[in-house]
Amino acid sequence: MAYQFDWSIIWSEPYFRWLIIGLIKTIEIGLLSWIIALPLGIGIGTLRSLPNKACRAIGAIYVEFFRNIPLLVQLFFWYYAIPPLLGTRISRLPNLEWYCAIFGLGIYTASRVAEHVRSGFNSVPIGQRFAALSTGLSQFQMFRYVIIPYGFRIMIPPLTTEFLTIFKNSALAMTIGILELSGISWRINEYTFHGFEATTAAIGGYLIIGLTIIFLMGQLEKRLRVPGLMRRE
Amino acid sequence: MKEETPIIEIKNLSKWYGDFQVLDDITTTINRGECVVICGPSGSGKSTLLRCINGLEDFQKGDVIVDGVSIKEISHTKEIYKLRSRIGMVFQHFELYPHMTALENVTLAPKKVFKIPEKEAEKRGMELLEKVGLREHAHKKPGELSGGQQQRVGIARALAMNADIIMFDEPTSALDPEMIRDVLEVMVDLAKGGMTMLVVTHEMGFAKAVADKIIFMDEGRIIEQEDVETFFKNPKSDRAKEFIDRILVHI
Repeated sequence: MAYQFDWSIIWSEPYFRWLIIGLIKTIEIGLLSWIIALPLGIGIGTLRSLPNKACRAIGAIYVEFFRNIPLLVQLFFWYYAIPPLLGTRISRLPNLEWYCAIFGLGIYTASRVAEHVRSGFNSVPIGQRFAALSTGLSQFQMFRYVIIPYGFRIMIPPLTTEFLTIFKNSALAMTIGILELSGISWRINEYTFHGFEATTAAIGGYLIIGLTIIFLMGQLEKRLRVPGLMRRE
Repeated sequence: MKEETPIIEIKNLSKWYGDFQVLDDITTTINRGECVVICGPSGSGKSTLLRCINGLEDFQKGDVIVDGVSIKEISHTKEIYKLRSRIGMVFQHFELYPHMTALENVTLAPKKVFKIPEKEAEKRGMELLEKVGLREHAHKKPGELSGGQQQRVGIARALAMNADIIMFDEPTSALDPEMIRDVLEVMVDLAKGGMTMLVVTHEMGFAKAVADKIIFMDEGRIIEQEDVETFFKNPKSDRAKEFIDRILVHI
């Protein structure tokens, strides 16, 4: 029997409500884990750019550890492996999967953010450091007024990609039982056997999130644009 | 008549990058108010020498004394910041801060190092931009200026700290011929105004016009240091002779 399309299920209750709830959860997971990933990544990336060897080593260990293990394995680790070791108060925490997903995704993404931050600072030409120091600025002032504002502008495009990726990676949260957008579309398929329509709805949801981010980051980039420095076609 | 008060004394300075010796037993003195031109083939250590004078690079042997202060002694202390503010520096590739306007480039260090109030720093910054002929471009970013204009902003930035000495590291090498003149004119004015200048350049016209002394370097060593006329008319070494021939006649 040929597949019978029924697009109305997307708009019918309770599935429409489910999809909206899933979409909101995806946005929440993405934003909350980004709130962890961005400052942590900036911190780790800055550690890796400092002259101090111990600082650089700490940064390197963090990055190489978290970016070389599959995100799925990391989520399983935080959700299945760690809580039992911490006693029943933690392992029976309501919404434990929620905290694990946000935490896991956040610290994983931080390792990727750190790499972009480091390479951003590294792409500031050495002459800029010489220029700043030659006028009598201290190392700290040089970082504060020259290297950071210059490097940050170089980092915007790769950080935009990372910000997009965090929403896409949030789909893995369904594997530890969170009904975010992907999980919801899977569940609608189970209830209605209309997987095509349900998945299409999820695809639409991800596109809305992604295109919104691209638009917003484009605005930010335009506002910070510096003539002669990084031109994006 | 210039009084002979040494402001920079370089004493047996040697520096290595790993096994490679970039500076080999450099000894020379620069007096207050002098304009000294340093020339020599690329890779001869000229730029490195400048960066050793204001402590941007470490050296392994010898010392540099700037106005009685030993760079070796202060190079890893906060004192070096103060000393650097007294030595302006102008770069081959300008190295203006691209995210700041011309005026902000000039006023950053006075505001942050000397804590000069914004208004006052801007007033002085505008005067300096006027001096290099760029008053009307004060609020443009470096990317909106031509190379020659950028380099003149670079000079204004170096002057903004009221430095005693200005070092120029091939200031015209990255410029188109017609822009070179604008930059050289500013430099000639400075030299005539009595600024102590240390200029790495191959602009021999500039050297002939204002230099008090020429230092010729090759392979990390000072081969000759002479007054301008002697250097061009009677170079002592064959290498200097060859170099002069090559840079004066391009083909």
